[in-house]
Amino acid sequence: MDWDKQLHQLTERLNYVRDIFADKHQEDIGLLEKRLAELRQGIEAGTVTKPREGLSTLEDLFFFMECKLEDRLTPMDKVRIVRHPQRICLRDILENVYDNYTEIGGQDEHTNDPAMLIARAYITRRRGRKVFHQSVLVIGHEKGHGEEFRNGGSAKPWGNAKVQHYMQVAETEGIPVHAYVFTPGGDPVEDYPGAAQQIARNIYEMAGLEVPVVAIFSEGGSGGAEAIALADRRLMFSHGYYSVISPEGAAAIEGRLKRGERASAELVERCAANLHLTAEDNVRFGYIDRIIQEPVLGARPYHFEFFRTIRQEVIRATDEVVLGIRGFAPMRGTALRRLRDRELNLDEMYVRWNLSRKARRRLVEKRQKHFLRISRGACLNRRSLWGRLSDAWAEQWWELYNRLIYDFYHRKRRSFSNALEEVESEWDLLKRRITAPWRTLRRTFGKKREASAATEKELTTLSEWDRTEERGDWAWVTARAKEDRAITCPNTGVHGCMDLWAPDLYNEFAGVCATCGHHFPMEYQWLMYNCFDQNSLFEFNAEMESGNPLDFPGMDTRLADAREKTGLKSACITLEARVDGTQIVAAILTASFRGGSVGAAEGAKLVAAAERARRKRYPFIVYCHGTAGIRIQEGTHGLVQMPRCTVAVRRYIEAGGLYLVIYDTQSYGGPVASFLGCSSYQFAIRSSNIGFAGPGVIKNTTGRDIPPDYHNCFQALSRGHIQGVWDRRDVRANLRQALMTMGGRNLYYR
Amino acid sequence: MEKKHKVLIANRGEIAVRIMQACRRLGLDFVAVYTAGDASSGHVRLARELGGERALYRISSYHDANELLSVADAAEATAVHPGYGFFAEDFRFARRVTERDRRLVFIGPSWRVIRELGDKINTKRLARSLGVPTVPGSDRPIYDELEAEKVARSLFDFQLQQGVTQPLVLVKASAGGGGMGIEEVYDIDVFRSVYRRIRNYAMRQFKDEGVLIEQRIRDFNHLEVQIVSDRTGKRPVHFGTRNCSIQSTGLQKRLEVAPGFDPSSIEYGFDAAALLESITSHSLAMARKVGYDNVGTWEWIVTREGHPFLMEVNTRIQVENGVSASIARVRGEQVDLIAEQLRVGLGQPLGYGQEDISFEGVGVEYRIIAEDPAAGFTPWVGDIERFEWESRPWLTLHTHVPPVSPEEPYSIPTEFDPNLALAILWGKDLAEVRERGLNFLDSLRLEGHDAKGSPLRSDVDFLRAGTARILRFS
Repeated sequence: MDWDKQLHQLTERLNYVRDIFADKHQEDIGLLEKRLAELRQGIEAGTVTKPREGLSTLEDLFFFMECKLEDRLTPMDKVRIVRHPQRICLRDILENVYDNYTEIGGQDEHTNDPAMLIARAYITRRRGRKVFHQSVLVIGHEKGHGEEFRNGGSAKPWGNAKVQHYMQVAETEGIPVHAYVFTPGGDPVEDYPGAAQQIARNIYEMAGLEVPVVAIFSEGGSGGAEAIALADRRLMFSHGYYSVISPEGAAAIEGRLKRGERASAELVERCAANLHLTAEDNVRFGYIDRIIQEPVLGARPYHFEFFRTIRQEVIRATDEVVLGIRGFAPMRGTALRRLRDRELNLDEMYVRWNLSRKARRRLVEKRQKHFLRISRGACLNRRSLWGRLSDAWAEQWWELYNRLIYDFYHRKRRSFSNALEEVESEWDLLKRRITAPWRTLRRTFGKKREASAATEKELTTLSEWDRTEERGDWAWVTARAKEDRAITCPNTGVHGCMDLWAPDLYNEFAGVCATCGHHFPMEYQWLMYNCFDQNSLFEFNAEMESGNPLDFPGMDTRLADAREKTGLKSACITLEARVDGTQIVAAILTASFRGGSVGAAEGAKLVAAAERARRKRYPFIVYCHGTAGIRIQEGTHGLVQMPRCTVAVRRYIEAGGLYLVIYDTQSYGGPVASFLGCSSYQFAIRSSNIGFAGPGVIKNTTGRDIPPDYHNCFQALSRGHIQGVWDRRDVRANLRQALMTMGGRNLYYR
Repeated sequence: MEKKHKVLIANRGEIAVRIMQACRRLGLDFVAVYTAGDASSGHVRLARELGGERALYRISSYHDANELLSVADAAEATAVHPGYGFFAEDFRFARRVTERDRRLVFIGPSWRVIRELGDKINTKRLARSLGVPTVPGSDRPIYDELEAEKVARSLFDFQLQQGVTQPLVLVKASAGGGGMGIEEVYDIDVFRSVYRRIRNYAMRQFKDEGVLIEQRIRDFNHLEVQIVSDRTGKRPVHFGTRNCSIQSTGLQKRLEVAPGFDPSSIEYGFDAAALLESITSHSLAMARKVGYDNVGTWEWIVTREGHPFLMEVNTRIQVENGVSASIARVRGEQVDLIAEQLRVGLGQPLGYGQEDISFEGVGVEYRIIAEDPAAGFTPWVGDIERFEWESRPWLTLHTHVPPVSPEEPYSIPTEFDPNLALAILWGKDLAEVRERGLNFLDSLRLEGHDAKGSPLRSDVDFLRAGTARILRFS
């Protein structure tokens, strides 16, 4: 019954096509359906004389139609391909690409997170008769073929924690990491740890991981993908997608849908196209290095030829990474050129994958430099050529100056003064020992101490006291403090707070309820002008402007509105300031400009600020006045700011600085799950919310209802995400304290 | 007064009654408020009698500024009298009243003055800057342990030098108040542990580590100087001194006498007349300095040796204002300080100077309270069934208790202070007023029962005992 099996296969293919194109291309699919039904009827009735021939004709027709449809694939069709249960999954790849493997992060559902799979795998290569086994660590999301417990490939925080742990193992053992990204996004559960918290830790870890990392994207959804995708080489399946948000999510935001409403298919289709999420787009932007061409209409488990392609490509990518940093620099080019030959069977040559210590450092340096460079063209820099040149010149000058002053002069001076102190204290001891008998005599026979007229004066007359600081009112007061109205505290039902008069609340009380301490949201200027020294603010990179790199429809007018409303050019303000005389570099993410979302311009400013702080050895303080996440209208240009800024921040931290984050109002999404969340010093202003996805998004994506204080800063404190909760009125004093007590060894005032 | 004013009386009880009477005397309209628990109080009855239902609003709490101000708007009031307690010394309320869109007159000092003098440290520094004597010790919060110990040590030495046999030092949280975070130190060796305890307490409670260190003065009389000034703040006058030394164990005043000392009939170890003169002139100097523009009280303590120290300034009309008024004459006429306050508060000039004010005789005020002096002055709760006294020409009795009988008793509301009545007596000298006082207390009939049926307890016996030691150091 050979034809029976073939008919079944054709039916499957037909179903697959129908699934993918939903209700488009009806006449083509209808034709296939009709022909298949005719043939089946004919064979079953025995009217078809040559079933084999009929079948092969029909197969040819199927192939022809599939090729025709392949040419007409829209981005949304690709999203549906990637989500189809018949899509290859990580276990298929492990079975077919690698020569041998052991799952080490658990087994099937018996693991802390079945959506995240970890395996030690072998690749066996031959050169002549010699056989080489090369181990790699394979990590990735496992969607399975529709199993419920895989959670659709959405990793929970503890799954990401597992990855972090095994990446450290790979680092210890010195084997490359292959990361397969098959996720629609991270699971937004806030537990111990929280989603954002753990993704930030992962990205931070990968920004300095000292082994070659190759990432292969099939479904790259937002933060969940970034958690394992900061790699030296990023490959992508030709039918995959890599996007900041799912098309449905984008449609929900674009269409301003309420909770529970569904976007129309046509809007989703349009959003998918506008997000530019296909492999070709991302290669064009430079966020993906190479495309792995898939079979027609996407790879399914029976495309064995495709697994061979994957194998060649991952080996090639790993070899390239290793050869690009190993050995004698002038020879690297030649070695790499050899790999460019597509006909070469990489199974039949051998490249050693372990690295010397120096090569490891070069590897990390190269990866970091690469990520700092990407997406530079995606924002507008209005600074003149002369301005840029003088900036570059000033940067070099600061580098040199600080080397001289801090690394050379201050270090010498400090060791000299230390020595001097030692000598002085020894001398004091000696002096006391010599004069001891004399002091005893004076104590026994001398006059008793008596209160003098001076003491009386001191106790009864006015003393010197500089009260300027305590007495001063707030340097900046919001315009809301001028309205004559009473404001009701949201906790009035719990704590019985009296209504507060706006001029009192917004001026003297700094927006804090006098009864329960609830913090009403304030503008970013409040902290900027009241916590940093007066007249010490110097803004730099103000000319960098948020653009519309994807030409997202309607975005230009919205940006113009935001610019007009806030007077800012992007959601990020970077400035130099002083806190009680100590110089700092500060970056402020303002919630008033497009919800504080981070795009290419914001990322570029943050990177520049971190670099500046590193060069000048200033503390680097990020005040997150509020952020809604990555700006989805910039697509992957926004998304890559997560690894990019984390790299910048990691470089700053490792240079021995103090990186401190202050959260205010609402902070969600990508920034929290990357460069903000990776700081060791994160503090929240009371009544703020911190998390991965807001309550509405959680409801829409997972269908779960969450308790009202799920993202509250005290919950974040309990989870260990942040290090403390500050009262708004104490921020200045706490900052002063933090500058004194926290941070690395290389701050200029240490 | 060119404009017809309407005063919102944001208070209750006896002071509300007196403000209403003063308004009536000055020909002003008023609005009164009351809460559900206070509906049977005498001030409600009087307001209904004098102003009718339209002059009376029920509110949920005397503490709710929003509600008070919406009453003011609804009744079209143009001024607010806060009385004493509640919002009387809240500079924010005063500021809100005078700076809101529909501005009102705040019958009290301007909010800047209230803020200035409401801060004890600030008051002390202001006093020192004018050479006014204050309690020896620090006049700014001390944050440094070594400095604190140095101050404490010199305070001990200073007291020994002054001849104090058992010197005591007081450590208190500078941000505290109302007796919280205060401790005595009797020995410099235990100072550090006390200091740290207070500092930590202050840190927890007030988020400020500052600590004040002062001499603890034990044997003293509590004197007050009554100041009145008009809105110009240029020429404040005083209405004499009061002695409020007879207090309950909780340091609440029970018996007040004016003037502060009586050197004509009692022998003091110092020149009492000169002392009274000096504290009044110091008080006036401070009032002039800050531009004090209403009625206020400068509180002093005077030691047995005759050293005065300024304690604090109360920027409001006080309970015991009547006793000062009873001995003061303006150009020979009796005065009502509440009426004066309303008059100058609404912007009228004072119209007389210090030379027009004379003093005559001795006044005593008894605070008649249902409480149990034997049990630490705990308030007594129950129904008053009988409250009678003989009316005399030398006696004024202010009360908010309505006429009662066993059939129609008055239950004392529990959520307010338990003061029932103020009896102000006048005599031409100390002996006479003392005799009249005892006479009055004997004639007073105050009876009632609580829920258990036990009889009413009051501080009448305590007042009788106190009458014997008026104006003395005991």
